[in-house]
Amino acid sequence: MGDAIVKFLETWSPIDVVLIAQNFDRFLWGALTTLELTILSLLIGGILSIPLAIIRAGNNKILNAPVWVFTYVFRGTPLLVQTYLIYYGLGQFEWIRETFLWGPVLSQAWYCALIAFSLNTAAYTAELLRGSIVNTSRGEIEAAKACGFGKAMRMRRIVLPSAFRRALPAYSNEVIFMLHGSVVASTITIQDLLGVGRWLNGRYYLAYEGFITAAVLYFIIVLAISRGFRLWEKHWLAHLYPLDAVKQKPKKGLASFRI
Amino acid sequence: MSEAAGDQAALEVVDLHKSFGDVEVIRGVSMSAHKGDVISILGASGSGKSTFLRCINLLEIPTSGDVFVAGEKIRMKTNNRGLYQPEDIHQVERLRARLGMVFQSFNLWSHMTVIENVIEAPVHVLKIPKDEAIEQAEALLRKVGIFERKDYYPAQLSGGQQQRVAIARGLAMNPAVMLFDEPTSALDPELVGEVLKVMRDLADEGRTMLVVTHEMGFARDVSSEVVFLHAGKVEEQGEPRQMFTNPNSDRFRQFLSRTMQ
Repeated sequence: MGDAIVKFLETWSPIDVVLIAQNFDRFLWGALTTLELTILSLLIGGILSIPLAIIRAGNNKILNAPVWVFTYVFRGTPLLVQTYLIYYGLGQFEWIRETFLWGPVLSQAWYCALIAFSLNTAAYTAELLRGSIVNTSRGEIEAAKACGFGKAMRMRRIVLPSAFRRALPAYSNEVIFMLHGSVVASTITIQDLLGVGRWLNGRYYLAYEGFITAAVLYFIIVLAISRGFRLWEKHWLAHLYPLDAVKQKPKKGLASFRI
Repeated sequence: MSEAAGDQAALEVVDLHKSFGDVEVIRGVSMSAHKGDVISILGASGSGKSTFLRCINLLEIPTSGDVFVAGEKIRMKTNNRGLYQPEDIHQVERLRARLGMVFQSFNLWSHMTVIENVIEAPVHVLKIPKDEAIEQAEALLRKVGIFERKDYYPAQLSGGQQQRVAIARGLAMNPAVMLFDEPTSALDPELVGEVLKVMRDLADEGRTMLVVTHEMGFARDVSSEVVFLHAGKVEEQGEPRQMFTNPNSDRFRQFLSRTMQ
């Protein structure tokens, strides 16, 4: 029976399923690398973005200017270019090659990708959060003042918790964008999910097999991310909706799916 | 008036002025509230009554004048650009915590449930242990009649319910004085009563309150003193029944005839 299926696929399938199956573990490792890079850069970039967003939302001109330049440079240039500049560019400076960071970190493609991705998502997230912080209800801030909250405590207890929640739906886009942006890693020798597809293409001259497999796996990851964010939003944004809407069960199936 | 005064007022405001640009909104208002006083501040819109209230806890920085909370003067200085400013923001924060404020538009923290709204400042400003704060908050929510909604978010409540939560939030700080800034003006008419009833109960309890309001019934029946502001000055002040039946100034008489039809 098993043999018959293999024979059928080998003979009639338009794409070489057997080849995909044989290399599937490679794809899974590639997916793991993609997830690793995406999650770590979102984590690092996310943490970086918080102070940057607070500075951008404030009115300290001296601090604001460099952060403004940072966010506009990283949002204004392609991620691919940023990655190349870090991976190929830094090595041109002798003094960088002489630092202790060179061997273990800056000469490694993986770390270069991580640095580029983290800074890139930090810039986007900072601007996203800034908007959210600026739009915090003035009345709620006044109420906190009236209760005796100091500036730092107001930011920590009232402004940020409220801003994070309101930024959540837009942030899910940034997460998906980062996942898709992480394909850039495959151009600097990293075997991420797309990298495996490219490897298969290069080795067997079969474009569909590798790229369709990669595309399907990306799609599955995006589905999982969107699902996760929907559950998250339901939990963290409950305060924005009237009670009956919270109690209502979400519609099931792909029809209600939004990315 | 001095910091070591024997008969200490819960709140004392001395010769307060406030300008926005060239427009002087408050032109020298003084007021003192002793423990248990309920002072209603009346006035037409634009008379400066909300601004006056907001100057007391420095949500607006006055242009000049002094505020004493429970005998302690809020220290002010004139900075090098000639602006009147608090000398020590930490002192301001400490004294703000002694003044509960209720806003026209409630201003509950929308991402927190009712009970979280009430315990937030006691836990994080007064540093009261959380379980103690919850116990106290539950008692206050019972008092304002909204205990069964303690796990709701503000957006899930009516205006009247939100305002009662806001009152509980103010009371949770155990303030020396409660400041009410037109607490019923944003409410649908049928919801005004439930908020006024809570305020009436507080007055009966002997809470010290300053109430900026348009509710003439409340001013006449509940307050111990009425202050009528006109164009940033105290036009008339006194015992409510006396003032309402026998107003001295023409302006207050006109105001009454316009609002008490």
